[in-house]
Amino acid sequence: MLKEALKLWAQEKRTNPKGSTLQRRLILFFVSITFSIILLFAVLLMLLDIDGSDKKAVSGYLKAELTDVSKKMEDESGRISLLGLSLAETVSGSCDTFFKEQGITAAELTVHPELIEPLLERQITSLLTVIDNNTCSGVFILLDASVSGSAEATDTARSGIFIKKTSPVSIQSVGNKNYYLRGPASLAREHGIDLLGQWKMEYDISGQEFFTEVMTTARNNPELPLSRLYYWTGRVTLKGNSEAGFLLCVPLRTADGAVYGLCGIEVSDRMFKLLFSPTDSTYSNAFSLAAPWTEEAFCTSKGLIAGNSYLTGHRMEQNLLSEGEKDSFEFFTGTGEAYGGYTSVLRLYPSGSAYEEEQWKIAVLLPEEHLKDALAGNSAYLLFIIIGLLLLSLLASYLISRRYLRPVNHAFDTIKNKSYGESPETRGYTEIDDLFAFLAQKDKEHEAELLSLEQQRQNVEDSYEKAQTRLTRITNRKKQEVDQDGYQMFLSHLHTLTPKEREIFNLYLEGKSAKEILVNVNINENTLKYHNRNIYSKLGVSSRKELLLYAALMKEEHV
Amino acid sequence: MKKTKKLLLLLTVFSILVVSLTACNRSPLDPDEPVTLTMWHNYGGDMQQAMDLLIDEFNSTVGKEQGIIINVTAISSSSELNESLALIVNGDPGAPDMPDIFTGYPKVGVQFMEKGMLCNLDNYFSEEELDEYIDAFVEEGRLADGGLYVFPIAKSTEILYLNQTLFDRFAAATGADSSKLATFEGLAELAVSYYDWTDGLTPDIENDGKQFFASDAWFNVIGVGMTQLGTDFLDGEVLSLNNDTYTSIFNSLYTPSVKGGFAIYDGYSSDLSKTGDLVCSTGSSAGILFYGDTITHADGTVENVEYSILPYPTFAGGEKVALQRGGGLMVAKNEEAKEYAAAVFLKWLTAADQNMEFISKTGYLPVTKLAFEEKIPVHLETLEDARIKKMLTAVLSMYEEYDFFFAPSFSGFDALSSKFEKDFKALLTEEREKYLEGKEYSAESAIKVLQ
Repeated sequence: MLKEALKLWAQEKRTNPKGSTLQRRLILFFVSITFSIILLFAVLLMLLDIDGSDKKAVSGYLKAELTDVSKKMEDESGRISLLGLSLAETVSGSCDTFFKEQGITAAELTVHPELIEPLLERQITSLLTVIDNNTCSGVFILLDASVSGSAEATDTARSGIFIKKTSPVSIQSVGNKNYYLRGPASLAREHGIDLLGQWKMEYDISGQEFFTEVMTTARNNPELPLSRLYYWTGRVTLKGNSEAGFLLCVPLRTADGAVYGLCGIEVSDRMFKLLFSPTDSTYSNAFSLAAPWTEEAFCTSKGLIAGNSYLTGHRMEQNLLSEGEKDSFEFFTGTGEAYGGYTSVLRLYPSGSAYEEEQWKIAVLLPEEHLKDALAGNSAYLLFIIIGLLLLSLLASYLISRRYLRPVNHAFDTIKNKSYGESPETRGYTEIDDLFAFLAQKDKEHEAELLSLEQQRQNVEDSYEKAQTRLTRITNRKKQEVDQDGYQMFLSHLHTLTPKEREIFNLYLEGKSAKEILVNVNINENTLKYHNRNIYSKLGVSSRKELLLYAALMKEEHV
Repeated sequence: MKKTKKLLLLLTVFSILVVSLTACNRSPLDPDEPVTLTMWHNYGGDMQQAMDLLIDEFNSTVGKEQGIIINVTAISSSSELNESLALIVNGDPGAPDMPDIFTGYPKVGVQFMEKGMLCNLDNYFSEEELDEYIDAFVEEGRLADGGLYVFPIAKSTEILYLNQTLFDRFAAATGADSSKLATFEGLAELAVSYYDWTDGLTPDIENDGKQFFASDAWFNVIGVGMTQLGTDFLDGEVLSLNNDTYTSIFNSLYTPSVKGGFAIYDGYSSDLSKTGDLVCSTGSSAGILFYGDTITHADGTVENVEYSILPYPTFAGGEKVALQRGGGLMVAKNEEAKEYAAAVFLKWLTAADQNMEFISKTGYLPVTKLAFEEKIPVHLETLEDARIKKMLTAVLSMYEEYDFFFAPSFSGFDALSSKFEKDFKALLTEEREKYLEGKEYSAESAIKVLQ
C-alpha cells in the first residue's frame, strides 16, 4: 500500500515538474510543527493517564459513599436495635409489675379492656424518654388486645401508643414536638402532646403482616432471648400514617414467657433521607438504598432510598434486579431504568436470631445514564479540543504563510514587471529592498551591455551590406565577362545530368575539392574524371573553372 | 476597505448572535449540575402526602429539566417552625441551617427581611406574572420596604366547624337554637347551656359537663371581633385594651370560659373534637382534614359524625369580617442560581393546575385569579372528598359576603400576639379554677390583669 502511494507521489512529482510552491512548503512546515506539538501533548496525556474519563473519580466517590453510608447504617441500626431492646425490657418490667398488681395474666388483658389505658399510662414516660433523647422518628407500643367493645373491631383493632416527632434527627431541640398518632387521647392531653390529623385511638392491624410475624415468631421461640427476636420490617405504612418507614419491632413478653405485644422504634422515610443521603457535592443524582435482598434482587418496595435525586421511595415499587458487573460497577434494572454502583451487606441481626436468614443490602447507585456521563467525563471535550486545535493550527498555518509570503509574491510580480520599489506592498522589507536595488543595478549594466552589442550588431550589418554590394558588383562584372550563349546552354542542360553527375555537380558548387568529392561519393579518380567529362560535355563547358563561374552566376541569380 | 467592511459585518453578526443566544438562555441553572434547595413547610399530617407528591412531581419534571431539586428537611406545625426560625433569625447558638425555602407568616418574614436574609421576589416575577395572582394575597406578602418577600401559595380563612351530630342531639334535648351560632354572644349562651346539660347527664358527678366551643387563637377572635365592631385591636404596635369594645368582647368570652362552656386549651381544638369533647370551634378552613368524620369515645367506641361548616361568627352588631389566614413561602437570600430556582418552583407550585391539585387534597384556597374565579366552580362539581367540597362551598360564599382582616406584619407582632394568647389563657384558666373552687371571681377584676 505504502509502496503504491510512494509510486503515485513520485509519478505526481514527475508530471508536475514545476515542484511545490513556497506557500505550500511553508504551510507544511507549520502544520508539521503544530502536529508534532499536539502529538507530544497527546502522548504526555497518555503517559500521565489523563484521558478525560472520570472512571476513577466516580468509582472512588461511590466506594467512599458506600463505606460511609454502610458504616452509618450499621451504627444506626445497631444503636436503634439496642434502644428497642432496652425499651422492651423497661416496658416488659413495668407491665409485669402492673399485671402482678392487678392480679391478672397478660393473656387476661383482652378480657379486662378497662386496664389497657392504665397500663399504657405507665409506659408513656418511657416512650417519651426514648423519643426525646434519641434520633428516631417514632416510638410505639402495640398490644395484642383492644379496648374496643365490639367483637368485629377486636379482630383488627389493637391498643397501643404511637408517638412521632417532627424533627427525627434532632434531640431535645427547640422546635421539636411530639405528636400522637395512636393511643388514648386523654394520655396525650395529660402530657401536652397534640394529636395528629390522622390520629385514631387504636391501631388497625389488617394487612399489617409484621405484627403477626413478630408475635408468631416470638411465641414459637420461647427459648430465644429478645436480642434474637427483634425484627426490622421492610418499608411499611401504618394504616392512617402519612409516612412510610422501617419499624424495629421487639416482642413484649412476661417473665414467664407469654407474648402480649410488641414495642419498637420507627425510622421514617424522612429520617432515612436525612441520615443516609450521599453527599451531593459531586454527583447530585447519587442515592443510597437499603432493602431486603432476595434472589439477586433488591426488594425496593420494602426498602428506603435517600438522596437528593428526583427518585423517591414510591417511584421504586419494582424490584431492582442484579445485572452483574460491567466496568467494575454493579448494575441493576428496575422500572424502565437501570442503575449502577456498589453494594454491601447490611447486617441487621446477630447470629442465632430467628431472622438470621433474612438478607439486607445497602447500595449507593447512580442512574445508568448519569453513570455513563460521569464515566465519559471530559473525554469528548478533550477530543473536541484536540481536533479544534488541529483545525485552528491548519487555518493559522494557511493564514500565516499567506500573509508571510504576500510581500515575496508581490516581489516576484514586481520582478516580472521590472517595477522595483514602485509597489507599496513590498516596501519596508530589507531583503526585498536590497534585492530590488541589486536587480536595478544589474538591469542598468545589462542595458549598457545590450546597447554595446546592438552597436556591434549594427556595425556587422553595415559591413555585411557593404560586402553584399561589392559581391553584386563583382557578379555583374563577371556576367558581362561571361559568354551568354554558353551560360544559357549550361542552364538549359542542367536537367540532363544523371543523379550521380548532379550529386558531384552540387559538391562542386559547395566548393568541395576533387579529393573531398572522391571521399564523399566514394568513387575512384577515374570514375570522377569520367563523370567530369560527361558533365562538361552536357553543360558545354571546357574546364572546372568555367563550370564554377557559371555555377556562381546561377547562385547569384537564385536559379 | 472592502475587507474591513466585510470584517465589521461579520463581527456585527457574531455579536448579535452571541447577545441573542445569551438573552434566550438567561437561566443560571444547569440540568447537569442541579441546585438543591432545602425546604421546611408546615403541611403535615394528611397534607404531607399532597405536598410530597407535588414536590416529587416537580423534581421529576420541571426540576429535572432545569436542574432543581427540592429537598424537604423539616415538616412541622407553624408554631414549631417559628421557634426554629426564631433561632436562625437571632443567630442563636445551636440554630439549624437556614432553609432555602420555608413557609411562614409575614410577621415572621419581616424579622428576616429586616436583617437582609430574605430574597425580594419582585426580582424574579414580572408585573404580568404577579398580575395573575389575587392582588390582596400578593399585597399581604409585601413587607415594610414594599418588596414581595412572602409569596402566596395557599390561603385560608377562619370558619366555624360544627359537629352537627352532637349539636342535633343537644338541640333535640334542650331546644337549642342553631341560629345562635352566628354570633359569639349566641355561642356563649349555647356553651353555658350545653355545659349545664351535659353536666346534668351525670347528676352524681359534679362539674363534669362538656365544653361546647373553642378557638385555636383567642387573639384572633378578639382582633377580628374589634374590627367587626369598628375599632382596632392594635394602636400602632401596642394592644388597645382600654376601650369599651375590648371590654364588651372580653365579657362575652369570660363568662362561658369560666363556666366551662368555652374550652381554654393549649392544643388544637380539632384534638378535642376528635374525642367528642367539643361541639364547635373556630379555626382555619384548611384544618378540615384534622376533623375527620368520626369521634372516638374514651371507651374506644368510634361514632360516625357529620360536620357542618358555618361562616365565621360575628360579635353582636358587628360587620361581617373574618381573618385572612395562610402564610406563604419565603426564599432565603442566596446565590442567584438558588433564588432563581426557588422562583421557578414557586411559579410551578402556584400555577393553576398544581394549585388546584393541592387545594383539592387539603382544603386551602388557591391564589391565582384563574384558579379562584374559573377553576374552583368547575372543580367543586367533581371533587371526591365531601368534607373539602363542603368547606370550599362555605368559604366561597364567605368570600362574597365578608371583608377580610389581614394581620399586621411588624417585627414585634409575633411576640406580642403569642404573649397575649398565653396570658389570656392563663387568666381564664385561673378564673375557671376560682369558679370551681367557689372563690370570688369577676370579669371586671379579671380584665384589669391584662390591661
